Amino acid sequence: MTDKTLSPKALRQRDQYRWSALGFIAPGVLIVAVLLYLPLLWTTFLSLTEYNGLGDPEWTGLANYVEMFDDPGFIGSVLNTLLWVGGTLLVPVGIGLGVALLTWNLKGGTWLRLPFLIPYALSGIGVGVIWSFILSGDGALDQALAAFGIADTPRWLVDAPLNTVVMILATAWQGVGVNALLFTIGLQSIPREPLEAARMDGANGMRLFRSILWPMLRPLTAVVVGLSIVASLKTFDIVQGMTKGGPGRDSETLALTMYKETFVNSEYGLGSAIAVFLTVVTLIASILYLRQQLSSKHGV
Amino acid sequence: MSLKKTGPALRTAVLAVLGLIWLLPVYLLLVNAAKSPETFTTKESWVPTDFALFGNIAEALELSGLAESAASTLLYAVVAPAIAVLVGAAAGFAIVALRLRHGFAWFVAIFGGTVFPLQMILLPLFDAYSRTGLFDTQGGMIVVYTAISIPFSAFVMRNFFSGIAHNVFEAAVIDGASTWRIFARVYLPMASSALVAIFILQATFIWNDFLLGLVLSQSDTVRPIVTSLAGMQSTYGGAQMSTVLAGGLLVSLPTVVLFLFTQKFFARGLALGQY
Repeated sequence: MTDKTLSPKALRQRDQYRWSALGFIAPGVLIVAVLLYLPLLWTTFLSLTEYNGLGDPEWTGLANYVEMFDDPGFIGSVLNTLLWVGGTLLVPVGIGLGVALLTWNLKGGTWLRLPFLIPYALSGIGVGVIWSFILSGDGALDQALAAFGIADTPRWLVDAPLNTVVMILATAWQGVGVNALLFTIGLQSIPREPLEAARMDGANGMRLFRSILWPMLRPLTAVVVGLSIVASLKTFDIVQGMTKGGPGRDSETLALTMYKETFVNSEYGLGSAIAVFLTVVTLIASILYLRQQLSSKHGV
Repeated sequence: MSLKKTGPALRTAVLAVLGLIWLLPVYLLLVNAAKSPETFTTKESWVPTDFALFGNIAEALELSGLAESAASTLLYAVVAPAIAVLVGAAAGFAIVALRLRHGFAWFVAIFGGTVFPLQMILLPLFDAYSRTGLFDTQGGMIVVYTAISIPFSAFVMRNFFSGIAHNVFEAAVIDGASTWRIFARVYLPMASSALVAIFILQATFIWNDFLLGLVLSQSDTVRPIVTSLAGMQSTYGGAQMSTVLAGGLLVSLPTVVLFLFTQKFFARGLALGQY
């Protein structure tokens, strides 16, 4: 649409809409700018300073980043976070896909999916309360194992890295349902014709999955995987609720390390540096699914 | 794993067994939250003993100010998403219907607010809230919850409005309607299902928030319910476990019930947000 094709009246009207459009978008932009972007910039600045909340921040360049990578506790936190990323990909996404495939076109599938959906809307702390209780020494799990004659059980929430693994499983308990729901939506949107054609040709089971279902689920899988990676990088609530990152710093994740350095140790600069590091890693991971999300959109 | 050959019976059986395993923690929660503090023992978790659930819930509401937290959290979870949904819809309307110049750039600017972790804004918010008197106020909590709900809301509404033919807008213009009127009387009503979907998703998210409550509030009346539950767990987790479990049940029930009854909207919201 070029300007020449429009009458002066239409042009005036279009300009009027453009002004009006600014009015409609302004509240969103202003709120996001003041409450999200401004703090973001301030944190980035603080990461280059020494600051404890009193007086003024003192410029120290990259010193916080050097200190961060020199700290074995931080390296442990990075490794735990990686374990979270890998574990939550393997278990909740994998089982979620399995449940979706099993309930697909199955009579009563909606009901059979229900048990997996119940934990989904729980808070991380709620999940932590339940599982801390189950996993405590001589708790529900140990009692069940003892009934099967297994008396010598590990200390689930104390021994590292086992404590991180069991917390990942608790998160999986919560997350399978939503992944199953998403994969189900994906499966339901697959057109019938290629499926029927493949079945006529005798494709079944694994071959049907590999040749038809998987390629068609790929875009959705990219989204689910991307979401899972980004969410696991930010893991905080459940760890804070179940082990507080302990014993010592054994089960800390990056989000937890940032919280402790900032709000427990008042190391504002160092805490900000960890936040920046976490953000950079998250952004790189986000690109994986943002590309998917934005490219498939109707361009405006 | 064969999909068609494997009989539906076998698939049902596998799912039923797996489903039962999934329900075990829920069973344990219910059974032990119902035990009175006197009969509760950490050694006998699988067997129900008595039914003191309501007493425990009443007790939990007293401990750690859970009752006050519940009222405040309800306020946050209703007001913040309601504002965010409208602000997000207005942004989507500006970009899609009014064809805002550089609309896509504006959209990315708003949506970009959701891609980084909360850790990136916690400290400055805490600092600024402390200086401006917003720290530990209900207003302050509503403001921050609204802000973090806007990007997703704008994202979904832009997608939704993109699916509406532009001549709907043009027809309304010919009728002489103002842009505000077109937004409020034509676009918003058409989007009601998407608005509800976003509202439910964000209300659940806010109800379940722990971190923002932990950093930006401290009193029982302002502190969100999940943050209060966490405090209760660390204070009374040893001595009064059944009360804490009852508290956990109470805190979890609203979102679980809301989710189970609005699955359709949830799925729709998730789908709108992700395709």
